Amino acid sequence: MNKDILRKANYWFDFDRALFLNRATKKAFSLEFVDDKPEDEILQRIDESTSGSGWTFYFNSPPSEGVRRELERMLG
Amino acid sequence: MPKRSIEDRLREEYFDFLPEIRRVVWQLEAEIRYYTLPILHSLKPYEQLVVKSRVKECESALKSLRRESKQNEGRVLDPGKSGTYSILHLPDLAGVRVLVFPNNRLVEVDETLREHFPGWISKPVKDDSGVSLAPKYYGNCANLDTWVGGEYQVVPMLLGLFWEVEHSAMYKFKEVAESPRMKQLRSDVEQSLGRFEEGIERFVQDYTEPPSTTS
Repeated sequence: MNKDILRKANYWFDFDRALFLNRATKKAFSLEFVDDKPEDEILQRIDESTSGSGWTFYFNSPPSEGVRRELERMLG
Repeated sequence: MPKRSIEDRLREEYFDFLPEIRRVVWQLEAEIRYYTLPILHSLKPYEQLVVKSRVKECESALKSLRRESKQNEGRVLDPGKSGTYSILHLPDLAGVRVLVFPNNRLVEVDETLREHFPGWISKPVKDDSGVSLAPKYYGNCANLDTWVGGEYQVVPMLLGLFWEVEHSAMYKFKEVAESPRMKQLRSDVEQSLGRFEEGIERFVQDYTEPPSTTS
């Protein structure tokens, strides 16, 4: 299951935001994305390298600039 | 000066409307108590009818707005759509729950209240397979000039008391509550309570009503 894959990769679930988060890699998966995507895509996203120092959001619909800023502010 | 967040603007809106929300909940509760009074007075000793009311908490209202849209990934209020959010969009700011035991009294209470709240929109509480568990209605109190909407539901008492515990325990973990395992566990409890209630009704009927005689 996708959720088990994320848990094994040290992601924890933020209940208020419904996001799977990993602060070390600065990646955030939305619950909807995790529910909708196949396992191999989740594994691929966990492994892929990201550029820059900001957070990477894996959402079904990319977050707007305002939402992204708000989430980054909350996640620190 | 730092810019005010959408949440803070909504908190302010909530507290501006709080006196009005309280008036709606008092009005709705008073009307429901009044309309169900004849049923209350006709209850048998083992039967129960309890009316409870609540004003939705501020933070709970904000959470509902964040979760309002299933598409709202990240559960964040979009600063770009700041003007579109309002706590008045929530239909359940003022809520009344009527707990009834046993189930045959529920139909009576529901029909009585529907007569007095004819324009209210029905949206029953359903289980995961779509079976209706309890009637629920949204609307506005006829004799109150307000934008604040109300909700009332008529609930089998055993189920209602279970929900009080279950909802408060699982509210924060709503997403987990929707997992297949938790859905199954919840469904098992709901079905067991339903069967218990049917059993009690049959038992009472068998022991209190004289057997029908055939000539």
